[in-house]
Amino acid sequence: MNIWKLLPVFLLGTSLSCLTQGEIEDPEIYKISYAERMKLLEKEFLAAEEEGNIVTGVIVEGNSLFNGTTIPHNKPYGKPYSEEELQAAAISAERNSKLFILAKDGTLYYPTPPQGQAVSQSTQAQRIHRVFTEEQKRGTEKLFTWATLVPMVGREIEICGEVYPGYGGIKGIYIRSVRFAGDYIDEEG
Amino acid sequence: MATKKTISVKSVFYTAVSLVWIFGLAAIAHIVMVLIEKHNPVIKYDYAWSCAIIGFLIIYMTRWFKSDGWQSFWGVLGGLGLWFAWEYSLMYGGHRMGVTYTFNGSYPEYRLMKWSFMAFLMVFTYLIYQESVRCNFIYFLRRKLRLMRGVVATGKIDNYGPRTAFEYIMITWAGYVLLMIAYDDQILGPESWFCYTLFFVSFSVFFYLCYKLLSYDKFGANLRYAIPTVTVLWNDVEILAKWGMLKEPWVHINWKIMSVIILGFAISTYLIIKDLRRKKESMIESKDIV
Repeated sequence: MNIWKLLPVFLLGTSLSCLTQGEIEDPEIYKISYAERMKLLEKEFLAAEEEGNIVTGVIVEGNSLFNGTTIPHNKPYGKPYSEEELQAAAISAERNSKLFILAKDGTLYYPTPPQGQAVSQSTQAQRIHRVFTEEQKRGTEKLFTWATLVPMVGREIEICGEVYPGYGGIKGIYIRSVRFAGDYIDEEG
Repeated sequence: MATKKTISVKSVFYTAVSLVWIFGLAAIAHIVMVLIEKHNPVIKYDYAWSCAIIGFLIIYMTRWFKSDGWQSFWGVLGGLGLWFAWEYSLMYGGHRMGVTYTFNGSYPEYRLMKWSFMAFLMVFTYLIYQESVRCNFIYFLRRKLRLMRGVVATGKIDNYGPRTAFEYIMITWAGYVLLMIAYDDQILGPESWFCYTLFFVSFSVFFYLCYKLLSYDKFGANLRYAIPTVTVLWNDVEILAKWGMLKEPWVHINWKIMSVIILGFAISTYLIIKDLRRKKESMIESKDIV
């Protein structure tokens, strides 16, 4: 067989593979093993918790909040939506309407990429590392080790990350890891 | 008068091995993706391109295999390589466009794939009218819907490798599109009548296809027919996971279950290769017409 016949395939593959370089956020972190990475994140989370730097809030959907269709901030904490409102908020979130974290004290946080990152993707499309409680670690149920924001709409979440001053009272938050009750996909709906 | 179907021990063996091999391959393919995402997502697009190139090379390479068994074996692997590349290309596209996960947890790449349903239907329309296509399901549609004007092409098939690769791709594509439409809460939803029907129909059809699979007592035809059989069963696995009744061992990385699957895959691979090598030795050498 004439091996040169395969040359166009190699050239095509090599040139196309160059197009996809550099599309992973924070590639440096993946040089550490998964177990070490998780340990570091957990340590960081617990340290932040001890210092009182964990942001706790419920995830709310931005479009209906800012056009006044829903008022999650006026509802009892932890129950921002009625059944019907939650369904609508979930659909909007799936369609990439912006999500926010509404903290217990009423502060609104907008999830962002880390400070200094100019070109970025929607944070709603990204996986976030998950930290488990001691009880969850002891449990036998296999839980997701990561989460994304959309399936968490309306649920309470604890966030370890960097908080930025933001604008107009809305703060920015770069989420490094999260902790929450139950599994990532809430089977109770 | 109905004829009595004879099921030999040999065909049961071939069927079992083919099913284990195709199922194991699908499970291993899934866990490879999960492990890459978990441990080192930095390499995923390079991996995708490698799969694409290797997939194309394997399909090209099948021109040197005479037996339909070897061609089918490599055809499945070539098809899987291309399928990997297609999934990763959608993952990349989803990432660039900021496609989110759905509320019920479907991944962005499959959300994008769902909207390729019209592309799928166009390709399928072509296949239905392509005389040389010999898929049993397409035969059934042609017969029942009276689609063809004349007789379909008959005769020897020499290029089972690319055919098997294409079969693998089309069937997997169909499975995903169907499931994603079923899962879409704004169309049907995981708790919809459609999803329940799909579950039970897939469950029944799987047994019917197994019964049909028992008619093939050599690895070429058996491997090819095992592709739709396993894919139909896979629908049920996916639906059970969506309903929260099953924690997929390849998603949650359950090494105990995965070890059994990997062992089954290794043994079935050994048995297939052994059988195909034995058959090759007993084949009468005939030169290709150039």
